[in-house]
Amino acid sequence: MDKTAYIGEHLWVGNVGNAFVILSLVAALLSAVGYYFHSKEVLTSEWKKFASISFSIHSFSVIGIAATLFFMLFNHYYEYSYVWQHSNNDMPMQYIMSCFWEGQEGSFLLWAFWNVVLGNILRKTIDAKWEAPTMAIFALVQVFLASMLLGVFIGDYKLGTNPFILLRENPEFANLPFVQIPNYLEKLDGRGLNPLLMNYWMTIHPPTLFLGFSSTLVPFVFAIAGLWKRDFTTWQKPALTWTFFSIMILGTGILMGGAWAYEALSFGGFWAWDPVENSSLVPWLVMVGAGHVMIINKNKGGSLFMTHLLAIASFLLVLYSTFLTRSGILGNSSVHAFTDLGMQAQLVIYVLTFVLICVVLLIHDKLIRVSYLMISVLMLFAGISFGHKITLLLIWLALSFIITIYSYIKFFPKEEEEESLYSREFWMFVGSLVFLLSSLVITYFTSIPVLNKLFSLEKAPIKIADYNLWQIPFAIVALLLVAVTQYFKYKKTDPKQFLKHISLSGVLSVVFGLSAVIPLYFLKDYSTSSNIDKWNLISYALLFISALFAVFCNLDYWMRILKGKTRHAGSSIAHIGFALILLGALISTSKKQTISQNTSRKNVTSLGENFSAQKSLVLTKGDTLPMGNYLVTYIGKERKGIDVFFNMEYFAKDKNGKLVKAFELSPMVQDNPRMGQASNPDTKHFIGSDIYTHITYADLADNKEVKADTYKEPTNFVGHMHDTIFADNAIILIDSITTNLTEEQYSKNDSLLIVTAVLKATDINGKVYRATPKYILKNNTVLPDEFELNELGLKFIFWKINPNEGSIEIQMSEKVNNTKEFVVLEAYMFPFINVLWLGCLVMVIGTIVAIVERRRVNKLKAQ
Amino acid sequence: MKKIHILGIVVIAVAIGVIFTSLQSSASYSDFAEAAANPDTEYHVVGKLNKTVPVQYDPKINADECSFMMLDNKGVEKKVVLHKSVPQDFQKSEQIVLIGKMEGNEFHANEILMKCPSKYNDGKPQV
Repeated sequence: MDKTAYIGEHLWVGNVGNAFVILSLVAALLSAVGYYFHSKEVLTSEWKKFASISFSIHSFSVIGIAATLFFMLFNHYYEYSYVWQHSNNDMPMQYIMSCFWEGQEGSFLLWAFWNVVLGNILRKTIDAKWEAPTMAIFALVQVFLASMLLGVFIGDYKLGTNPFILLRENPEFANLPFVQIPNYLEKLDGRGLNPLLMNYWMTIHPPTLFLGFSSTLVPFVFAIAGLWKRDFTTWQKPALTWTFFSIMILGTGILMGGAWAYEALSFGGFWAWDPVENSSLVPWLVMVGAGHVMIINKNKGGSLFMTHLLAIASFLLVLYSTFLTRSGILGNSSVHAFTDLGMQAQLVIYVLTFVLICVVLLIHDKLIRVSYLMISVLMLFAGISFGHKITLLLIWLALSFIITIYSYIKFFPKEEEEESLYSREFWMFVGSLVFLLSSLVITYFTSIPVLNKLFSLEKAPIKIADYNLWQIPFAIVALLLVAVTQYFKYKKTDPKQFLKHISLSGVLSVVFGLSAVIPLYFLKDYSTSSNIDKWNLISYALLFISALFAVFCNLDYWMRILKGKTRHAGSSIAHIGFALILLGALISTSKKQTISQNTSRKNVTSLGENFSAQKSLVLTKGDTLPMGNYLVTYIGKERKGIDVFFNMEYFAKDKNGKLVKAFELSPMVQDNPRMGQASNPDTKHFIGSDIYTHITYADLADNKEVKADTYKEPTNFVGHMHDTIFADNAIILIDSITTNLTEEQYSKNDSLLIVTAVLKATDINGKVYRATPKYILKNNTVLPDEFELNELGLKFIFWKINPNEGSIEIQMSEKVNNTKEFVVLEAYMFPFINVLWLGCLVMVIGTIVAIVERRRVNKLKAQ
Repeated sequence: MKKIHILGIVVIAVAIGVIFTSLQSSASYSDFAEAAANPDTEYHVVGKLNKTVPVQYDPKINADECSFMMLDNKGVEKKVVLHKSVPQDFQKSEQIVLIGKMEGNEFHANEILMKCPSKYNDGKPQV
């Protein structure tokens, strides 16, 4: 470390930040310890005060860390690595928030912050009996999160990554030259935010999603406390509202991610079964299951194990998702694969510690409990000291699994009576099970890279089509249950009554469903498709009908049974929203059409090129081409800062058959000199469909002005009959050669021998032009004859004949401004995608209505 | 049989089905030699773009096709024909994964994933 005195650095801020980091960790630890002892002796108020004050100090320090980081970002303190990496001078102020959580350290901090918010609400509103055990676990989670921000070395191993490390002390950037200069700060500008993240979605999606992750912690700590105190039922009532809050927020966060992908990314869709998407969806699915099983428990009792399992699994899956996305293990298989900050081991320990805690609490026999704990600790140390980590891990997982099953059988209270097949609780249980199964399948598929590492395999990631193949049956079953379960009564239902309730909706959904799916899927495609595709089409049809069934049943329940009272209809509304989401996703994805087929290339196939299915359209500036139901003209490009917009006008025929302008779209390519080009789509939203366009290839350079008649340097081509010569704006075929005299005739008299080369030039639009340069021989002298093809700005001279090889030489000159500007565009039509967005809105509204109603009822009961 | 046991059997059946079909159908990471030995099978081939050879892409002829030379992890170099337009920032890629089949002496790829330098926060764009 050199002792250069650096000018202009604000070192005190970093020290304050680091102090907060350490304080937050210590306070969380003390709080966890305090709450633990408090929970052992409920009447001791000293421990409670100690734990409570510690948690307050912890909360204050987390806010302090966040405030410090904001302060640095706001003031552009580029001496700090995080500030330099994620922000710069040019950045609009509204993106300061996005910078905050662009990096791993920032997003961990965001998560810790939300935990602090929720933790404080929890401990203020919770029943005294539950406060200690839940807050003990809560504080323990905060200990782990705080450790992620440490950046401290223990021997060779670095624990966490510090957000306040100085740029010049960050080994990743140690070879940057300017940090060696004492006054490097004078001219230093930050690296800036990734271009893909400079939009409003980056401001709202991460905080919502992280609040969602954070919210899964609350049902978790309740369930753990239930196991700990061996009171398996009374925690469920207070936890129910928190559970549905989590469902609402996490669900909203996930849907925002889908909307963002659709609007700003160029993969052409809203869901890619990408590992990061999956690992946030899975905790949500499990939480939905947990919430519904808790409702069973509230109304009738029972399903105790499932409730604990699902509430606990949801948070553990969030931890697993954290591991998947931040450890670098995804490597080659994800768009979101964040860089490996060397935290793989730490994240594994994080997940496994909480798995351990769950298993330990489940065991009710002291001997087994202690033995299991000791074996686990021993295996951990063995792994660290002697290696064979993966084998040990697999053994430990198997051991934990066996002990869990054993503990369930031996120590967990079972239900006495069996549930009737005609009972609401049975089918809600099945529904939660379906959601759990669906999430396990998704988790398994997503974890292929982890399995590769554990078992030394080389399996490639699962494709989108296979995810859909498995999830569609789950969705169909889920929708059927969403439709009919509400008509079952608790304990027992009269089958005749039940059938009467669902029959109208059933008939309507089949009628409407068939009238939609037959034209959609069966008229054209069915007879010509393969067996796999036939099954796909059938499954789409079944999904369509089930979704309609769910919508009609829930509408019916709302209007007829609930007499249209919105206050009580939260679940019906949410279920309608859920069904609409699946319906919208189904139609827009299964009937997504590529409308940018390159229609202008048809004539070129005669040259013998082998064309596969064309997806992209080549648009030259000023030209008009057909695209779907429209004609599109590429007007030109416009640069605004580092964004280059490609303006296109779309025309359609009006009712008189005249062409009128329908709309304009300007897909954009961002030209960030540090991070390369990023393509952003532009989409036209109609009520019944969306037209989605994005640039796949474009030249961002600005054309300079050239004189109209300048020709470039000529080039010579040697070719045989039927060879092709490529110009910038045309493809030229050597079609044939004719002569006016035979060789004999020429040698006889003194006339001109004219050999004509017939060239056929095909332009970008498929139009063919004829050029006939001549090779003129008089008295063994060659007379030059130039053929000007003015329409294409080309000149040809028939340069030489080589009769022995049967080849000729053609010299071609191209006009300089022939190289017209062009772009390559891909465009899709998404039918009825607004059903999807409508469903999202409706589902969120329904969940809010349900939560508000529950709180109102609870308040009334408390009075 | 108790209903819960029936449900348990259903769960196990689903689990077996999932594991079985996933092991059967999922492709493996591989290299050019293996892809060449089985020209009808789809493989994921990992490797690096040969940046000394220019990438061929002429959108006016075929906007959905480009070709380049790639070295797989065993050092074998083959010509790759990708049935898509040139991915953005192709020259910046550190590692690429191709999904496709070997045809003759060329690898014909339908999908490509790229890994860009780790100075990014987002690992890489998938094309």
